[in-house]
Amino acid sequence: MNEYVAYESLVEGADFLQPAPAFEVTQERVESYIQATGDQTKQLENTLVSGERIAPPMLAAVYVIEALRTRVGPPGGIHAKQKFKFYRPAKIGETLFTKAKVLSLYEKKGRQYVEMSTETKNQTGELISTGIITRIWGKVDE
Amino acid sequence: MSERALKYWEGLSVGDVLPELCQQVDQTMINAYADASGDINPLHIDPEFAKTTIFGKTIAHGLLTLAFVSRVLSHWNWHGWAYGGELDIAFLGPVYPGNEVRVSGEVTAIIQSELGVFAHCELACSCDDKVVLKGKAVCQI
Repeated sequence: MNEYVAYESLVEGADFLQPAPAFEVTQERVESYIQATGDQTKQLENTLVSGERIAPPMLAAVYVIEALRTRVGPPGGIHAKQKFKFYRPAKIGETLFTKAKVLSLYEKKGRQYVEMSTETKNQTGELISTGIITRIWGKVDE
Repeated sequence: MSERALKYWEGLSVGDVLPELCQQVDQTMINAYADASGDINPLHIDPEFAKTTIFGKTIAHGLLTLAFVSRVLSHWNWHGWAYGGELDIAFLGPVYPGNEVRVSGEVTAIIQSELGVFAHCELACSCDDKVVLKGKAVCQI
């Protein structure tokens, strides 16, 4: 298990994930996500002309958070806000790499907020999604 | 870049509501999301641990609730949502096992630009009368 990342150690403008962790988009993972979320979108059942199968756009919530979980703050953190832009759905068989950068750090009502940008590309460098996540950072001994 | 606000576009009008979704959430669903996402925070899956938190019991992952929002948008406008869709939401409160999450949305603007015509939607998820998630989405139509 990684050590907790302290709020005080974060720097605005700094890369948060170096190197970008890899996420394999497997059929098992996609089916597991579809089943868990009750997604019955019919387009997800189809095979593309290219023979490929696609994942729900919101699989981003899995591959981005999994990447960010490689460096976590102390327990007690809360996911406060989320922005996503989907360029296209991920495809089964792709490997995704998510970069993250600390955008801003601020305190409000005694809580410490961390705003990070994320950018996910596949193994050929094609852009899949971008996002901005705002977390209330956990505090040590909280 | 010039933009023009429209009142309607090809059968879609400002004020139209998105198809509503009501989804029952139980511990089995939360556990399944934990397995699928790898997010095994005990707050979500360990009732004994959750009793020691401010919530008093387990809560669903916020991103599970967000998945319901994506289902609504996928059903309403698959291509516009999956290929270029944008989302901006805030998590406002917990969803507990046994809650029914109601996802609602409304088209608040239709904007035409050089890039195309885009629907701007306001979205909310509520449990009973309590709003647990609120935000906006934009997708091409």
